[in-house]
Amino acid sequence: MTFTGAIGAACMFPLRAIIAGCVALRIHPNILTIVGVVINVGAAWALAGGRFMTAGWIMVVANIFDFIDGKVARELELESAFGAFWDSVMDRFSDIFLFIGLVFLYAELGRTDYVVITALTMMFSIMTSYTRARAESIIPRCKVGFMERPERIVLLMIGAFTHRMAAVLWVIGVLSVVTVADRVYYTWRELSQAAPERRA
Amino acid sequence: MLRALLRRPALVLWRAFFWTYDRATWQYDLWVIAILAFVWLTPPDWLRDPTASGPGLIGLLRRLLF
Repeated sequence: MTFTGAIGAACMFPLRAIIAGCVALRIHPNILTIVGVVINVGAAWALAGGRFMTAGWIMVVANIFDFIDGKVARELELESAFGAFWDSVMDRFSDIFLFIGLVFLYAELGRTDYVVITALTMMFSIMTSYTRARAESIIPRCKVGFMERPERIVLLMIGAFTHRMAAVLWVIGVLSVVTVADRVYYTWRELSQAAPERRA
Repeated sequence: MLRALLRRPALVLWRAFFWTYDRATWQYDLWVIAILAFVWLTPPDWLRDPTASGPGLIGLLRRLLF
């Protein structure tokens, strides 16, 4: 087993109990999704105030809700197209709130360089999701590129807990640019390959 | 021969950036290690990090050695 696989498996133990609790209480998955966003607003507020440790713990709680909503939907047999859409839209709000918190913090500190870096990172993070969503409306699947939402969120938590937010923003920013480029290239290649077949 | 020698690192770089691997693979682990090394080892001064605390491992070693 790989070490990231082992970490994932270890995290699943407490999560399974939380999922079972939500299923027993029959909490609607869409409610879990919106609760996750509201808690993330708290994390953004803590980031804006430079309280990184607090922000890190709030992000952990918020993302438990984010992670379990799909699993609870499956267990309760409440999976729906709207649920998937709702989850995806709310995830974007959560991401943007966190970045706005950081933009506010760096603006307060008078660091326009990091305001710009955070804004660019936010833009490419959103474009990462958009390129895949748009690509999958014209090709069957576009799951390429490293920097997806779980990676982003875990990195933001690591940045908050270890006070290394600038390095984390650079990593998310650069790898999000690469991921967007990857998805554009992959979609172009898939469509180019499909075009001669369609003509034939 | 030279072309073949150059092709391998180029291919590794291409596959590292134009990513198609799943999570929890050894390739994914390598990327995670590289990212964590960058985040934790890079001295915050190099990035002009306004909120970092502590010099980081490389910064600590530089202070000890020079």
